[in-house]
Amino acid sequence: MKSRWADAGDSDASDDGGRGPQGGGARGDRAKAQAPRSKRRRGPSADAGASDGTASDQAAHMGDVRDGSPAGTPEPAASAATAVAAAQPVQRPPPLVPFIRPCRSVDNYEKLNRIEEGSYGIVYRARDRATGEIVALKKLKLQNETNGFPVTTLREIHTLLMAKHPHIVDVREIVVTPSLSGIFIVMEYLDHDLKSLMEDMPSPFLLSEIKTLMHQLLSAVASLHRNWIIHRDLKTSNLLMNNRGRIKVADFGLARRYGSPLGPITQLVVTLWYRAPELLLGATTYTTAIDMWSVGCIFGELVNKEPLLPGRGELDQLSRIFKLLGTPSEATWPGFMDLPLAKTVHFKQLPANNLRTTFPYLPEDGLDLMAKLLTYDPQQRITAEEALRHPFFTNNPLPKNPDLFPSFPSKAAGERRHKIPVPEAPHAHQDLPAGSLFDNQPAENGAGFRLRV
Amino acid sequence: MSALSLANTQPTLAQLVAPPSQTDGVPVATERCLRILGAELINSASLLLSLPQVASSTAQVLFQRFFFCASFRDNSVLRIASACLFLSTKLEECPRKPRDLINVFNFLCQLRRGHTPTILDVDFPKYTAIKNDMMDGEMHLLAKLGFNVHVQHPHGFMINYLQSLDLTSNKELMQRAWNYLNDSGRTLAVVLFQPPTIAAASIYMAANDVGEPLPLSPPWWEVFDAPLEDLQTIEALLRTMYATKVPKSLPLEEPIQVAATR
Repeated sequence: MKSRWADAGDSDASDDGGRGPQGGGARGDRAKAQAPRSKRRRGPSADAGASDGTASDQAAHMGDVRDGSPAGTPEPAASAATAVAAAQPVQRPPPLVPFIRPCRSVDNYEKLNRIEEGSYGIVYRARDRATGEIVALKKLKLQNETNGFPVTTLREIHTLLMAKHPHIVDVREIVVTPSLSGIFIVMEYLDHDLKSLMEDMPSPFLLSEIKTLMHQLLSAVASLHRNWIIHRDLKTSNLLMNNRGRIKVADFGLARRYGSPLGPITQLVVTLWYRAPELLLGATTYTTAIDMWSVGCIFGELVNKEPLLPGRGELDQLSRIFKLLGTPSEATWPGFMDLPLAKTVHFKQLPANNLRTTFPYLPEDGLDLMAKLLTYDPQQRITAEEALRHPFFTNNPLPKNPDLFPSFPSKAAGERRHKIPVPEAPHAHQDLPAGSLFDNQPAENGAGFRLRV
Repeated sequence: MSALSLANTQPTLAQLVAPPSQTDGVPVATERCLRILGAELINSASLLLSLPQVASSTAQVLFQRFFFCASFRDNSVLRIASACLFLSTKLEECPRKPRDLINVFNFLCQLRRGHTPTILDVDFPKYTAIKNDMMDGEMHLLAKLGFNVHVQHPHGFMINYLQSLDLTSNKELMQRAWNYLNDSGRTLAVVLFQPPTIAAASIYMAANDVGEPLPLSPPWWEVFDAPLEDLQTIEALLRTMYATKVPKSLPLEEPIQVAATR
């Protein structure tokens, strides 16, 4: 059953790669590799069309003479010759490498509307003037940078490029204003972020939908961790979703590569509500397990349609965690007492584990996955790869096919829920003259009551 | 092809035939000297800042790439070299304070002019001038390179190749090959060839130097997908660089002046 989802994810990748008429590079290459075969099958008449659609300027530059037949009217003899040439083993062109090319101007995009404004900058919805594609433009805030171009943005671009994945938002290019004062990251546009979508939804996601979303999220996180990247800010507002049931992890502003041994890394990461207990207790090093804690918090939020642990401060956050899961001890979390803040702060002993009462309708397998994600000991906490193999995703109800997801009006595109004008039921008007329906009948005075229409 | 990529970018044929500096009238030989000058400046500065080799190599590659999109007539060597090293310390996660970079570059400039080196304080006009130049240069660098600033290096490939050729016991060969790799940052090899080819070329040169026989049937470079012509081209680029004497008169802190006759 798992393979079905793997396949769904894979086909998703190729779908998304070539949405626009000019498509991604990978698609172009693949199409080109297939070109000889399709030529042979379809015969010479289809030749010109097939080759012209896929030949990019790059291929032309690299001297890809195979596709160089002039467009338009191929002479029969010439096209027959190409067909023969195609039938023979074609020498592979040298691997295509990108060229040194300056940033394009932001004028290549037409600004449509503002989507949101965050601490990092403003996000706009825009249209590619050449292809008509809708994209998201993230304008970077670059005021009072004493350290030049922010290293976090360099990391964001690098990690986004390293972590190409169907469920990670795709970054296309960087565009600039002519004076270099404005810098925009061009990313694929998605209709919603999961947080505001859930706020607007009348009822929580179905269990089958939650399974799909969690599987997608975990596959993205697993891919990040495989590439030695910690996201460090997973939360529902950083998960974008389109109207075809796909979520994509976005906002890599805090992400960074890590290595072994781990160098000094900052402890002040992850939005409070999604922050793992070891960070709250001041651990000096941490691992990819902090992302898994955040995934657990997101899971809880998907189930209950409200934040799982909305702490008001770091201490409140800890006490909420302890209320939910019980106070940790050396037995449940070896090394707990060695954490800097475990000794200085005294916590009430709360032994009970309240996961079942918090998620009354979650089946056992789901609760088991939740407990494994929200495990105190980072060493014992489930990894993304393990979580993907959890029976939760193979038990009934099975994950819903993303194509069968409901769609919602996009807040980011400024769409409103479409209302069909329906005539309303007549209201009783207080100011209606009494007995108007019976005007031609003589009013009976002193009858005790009057009929009001 | 997406505009952003992790693969090493290469110049187009048009950029290669007529780099912006040459279109602006900078002679070919002068451009080559200026490139060597900038790469050496980056290397010296990174040694003084005790930066890892990878920071220096990345900065050199960025420097070489940049001058396929911009001209030496508009950008001084100091401006772009300092910007490249500043950016690469961030890319390679070995940050240094801008102040340290500015002082090191100022030190090297004074040394080259034969002045007694002095320390710049943050309120010196010279300090602000170098700083603004470096910060502007960084922004300029990023925009001109289209933010394709993540560089892959040949060093890892070379270690793998040496191991598979069973050469790891030959210390001298290994050291020579490593040195050739580090020196390749001063040539155009780092922008014209991909890292595996450069790695093979450094082994090729080092093996020739120490007279180490390597398998020739089939030729070992073919196993690594590196054509012999490529290896010889890289060797020629390096030998030319070693033979080039950079004139003392070349300006470091100002863009090069081009005769107005052009």
